[in-house]
Parts: sequence; structure tokens; C-alpha cells
Amino acid sequence: MKKILVLPILCSLLFFACKPELLIAPLEPAKDLSGSWQIIKATRNGTDLTMRFNFSQFRIRFTDSTYTIDSLVPFIVNRSGKWAFDDPTYPFTLSFQATDSSAKTSPLLFPVTGGQRNLIITFSPGCSANTYQYTLQKAN
Amino acid sequence: MQELPKQHKPKGKRKITAGVIWKIVGALLLLIIASCSITINNVVMPSSVNGGEILPVTLNVTIETNDNQTSNFMVAVLVPKVWKVAQNATITFTSDITSGDQGMSVIPAGSPAPQGGGLDWPTLLANKIGNGGNLLPDYEWVAFYSNTSYSVVANATIHATVSIKIKTSTDNLLFKPGFCVANSTDGLSSSDRYAASFANCFRVNGQGDLIDFCNPQISTVDPRNSLDNDIITVTFDGGVQSTALDNASQVYLCIAGITATGDSLVVCTQTDDTKMTALGLNKWQKDIWPHKLFNLTNNQRLTGLRYYFTDGAGANKVGYAGGATPFTFTFKCQ
Repeated sequence: MKKILVLPILCSLLFFACKPELLIAPLEPAKDLSGSWQIIKATRNGTDLTMRFNFSQFRIRFTDSTYTIDSLVPFIVNRSGKWAFDDPTYPFTLSFQATDSSAKTSPLLFPVTGGQRNLIITFSPGCSANTYQYTLQKAN
Repeated sequence: MQELPKQHKPKGKRKITAGVIWKIVGALLLLIIASCSITINNVVMPSSVNGGEILPVTLNVTIETNDNQTSNFMVAVLVPKVWKVAQNATITFTSDITSGDQGMSVIPAGSPAPQGGGLDWPTLLANKIGNGGNLLPDYEWVAFYSNTSYSVVANATIHATVSIKIKTSTDNLLFKPGFCVANSTDGLSSSDRYAASFANCFRVNGQGDLIDFCNPQISTVDPRNSLDNDIITVTFDGGVQSTALDNASQVYLCIAGITATGDSLVVCTQTDDTKMTALGLNKWQKDIWPHKLFNLTNNQRLTGLRYYFTDGAGANKVGYAGGATPFTFTFKCQ
């Protein structure tokens, strides 16, 4: 008789012991470009030009939707203007629209290396046969 | 009951038997591998063509087999990039084991080559066969596979005649074309599985500055295809010939940008903007951004450059072939 009672009690305990876990996926934050960025690496057709050409003075300052350029070097645009991601959360391209010009878009990589966020863009400022890749980091 | 005696067989004896068998098999395989070969008997091509004309090349090839195999035939060509051979070449072949012209198609760059360790054909060809002594980097290997695979039997000798037709560009150039034949099974796995041949210096009588891949150049501009908003690298190689700058401790550019309207914008002062970097062995290099060097407005465009090299005082000038005529460079984008 005791055995007959124990079994339903155990079953009911098991039933109430299980509680579905509430899984909440962490929210991916929108990527933030705001601030001033400098070039830390530059390649032309795969050849490293970083130490061969003076990129040190170049700065690009992003605000919420605009950018300004100081000390221009060959770049995807040559005037200040507006910028936009294709997707603020998972951006794969970064577009620049200089004042009075059509938008130019670059493939975008946004990795964190050595604790620093890198902005890697690829473009052709002159002949389309030549590909430049700049890696930018926040300037201090 | 019958298995028991086998289980009690001395292990050592069985190992020796297996070892002997493997040695025999290995020796046979080595014999088969060692005796397969492919050869380019000769290359028939003109010594020059006019720019924009078809360059016809014939390769006479002999393949000797010692194993049954089913593979695609591979033909690759080393050519100037500016020819865009992937779009401008037709390759066919005839052979003892086929009937009529057999078509071939470009192998897309990035497709792994057989037994190539993950490298694609162009990379593998560049690593294994090289550049045939072409001195400018603007060349490329382009590989083609036969549209059909072919079965060959062991101990056969097959003759193939490969017909390559390349539409050249209008550029004025000297180049040493290269050719390679192989198959889709063995790739470039060992030197007897492929054959390569390089032609002598071939001339295209085209338009514009001569692009000379064959002879050492006292000065080059890289990339050849560039516009005034590119960073271009100007080099001076004083080791090619004796010049007035043989003993110069510093070398500077004296350069003029020619605008679309025919104006000449001259930058010929010895400053950091024109100072060249020493690379050793009397080689010098300068990376310039013409747009900034000549302070171009947004509406100005350069069509070309004229330049000399000078010493620190600007007194000794070296131009084309070491003389007084300036080097020239034409901006273009093809």
C-alpha cells in the first residue's frame, strides 16, 4: 500500500521540479563609430604602404550621421559629408556621401584586436584596378 | 577448427611476408610514377605582333603514360595582366586519342589545383614555375582545363598539338610569355608530371610608353595602371647602368605633371616631398600622391608625368637611359 502511494508522489515531485528555463538572447549593440579615427595600416594591391607614405596626419571624425576629414590622403571620398551603415547592428558596408557627390560604399570589417576596435575599409580612389585597404583605430 | 593453425602462426613470419609484399608494391608504384612524363617538344610563335592583333601560339606536346588514368588536360599561359587573357584567349588542341578540335575553358582563380596544398592554379604555377625572368610584376598565370576528361591507358605515347590564340591589347610592350601543360589528377605534384617553357622576349608594337618586362629598367612606376588620385611608386635603379648619380648620397625627383589641358605643373625643388628613400645598392624609391604633390583642384586631371632624378644640389640630372631626356609615364586605367 505504501509503495502504491510513494510512486504517484514521486511522479508529481518530478513534474513540479522541472521548470522551463527562460532563454533570453543577449542584445547585439548597435555599432558606434563616433569619435576621431586614424590610419594604422594601409595597403595598395596587398603591398604595405604604412611606413612608406605619410598617413599620420589623416583624421576622420564621425558623429551620429556626419563625418569630417582632416589632412586628406587618397580615400574613398575627398570631402566631408554623411555616412551610414547598411545595418547598424550587423554592418557589412559603410557608405560615405560627400557633400554634392553621390554615395560611395566600402566593404566593412569591424574586428576587435588587442582590445582595440578596428575599422577596415576597402576602396579604389583612383584606377579601379588598384585596391586600397585601410585599417583605422580611434585616435587618442 | 581451420582457423586455429592460422592463429598460432608465428607473428614474425607474417610481418615479413606483408613487408615484402608492400616493398614490391611500392617498387612497382615508384616504377610507374617515375616513368610517366609530359614534354613540350617545341613552341611556335611569331617574334612580334601589332597591338590589338591575335598572337597565335602552337605547342607540340608528347605525353607518355605508364598507368591508366582519366583526367582533364591543363594548359596555362604566363602573360601580361593587361591582356586580360581569361576573356581574350581561345585554346584548343588535337591529339592522337581525340577527333577534331577539343575545347578548353578558363579555370576560375581560387579553384584549388590538384595536389596543390589548397593553392589555386595561378598561385601554384607562380610558386613552382616562376615568372620566366619577366622583371615587372604586372603578369599573371591563367590556367585552362579541357572541357572533357580523357581516359588514357598505360604505356601509351600520345602526341597533342595545342593551339593558343590570344588577342593582345594595344599596349606597346616586351614580354617573355610562358606555357605549362599538366593534367587534372597529378597537377604539379612532381617535375615529370608537367612541362613548362618560356619564349624569348616577344614584342607587341602598340601605342604609348614601352612596357619592358625583359630588360632591367633604370626607372619604373608602379602600378602601371593608375590615375592621379592613386599613390604611385617611382623607383630609380642606379645599378642598371652608370649615371651621374652613381655617388649621390641623396636622390630627389624633379617631376612635372601634364594636365588634360596641356599645362605642365613642375615640382623640382629638393624637399622632403621629392626626396627618395634609399633601398641599398643604389636603388631609390618614392611614393607620391600626384593629386596632392601638384595641388590639383577637383576639376584638374593629369594625363601623364615627365620626370628626372637629381642629386641634393639639383645639379646632376638623370633621365631616360641615363641621358637628358625625361622619363615619361602616362596615366591610364584598363
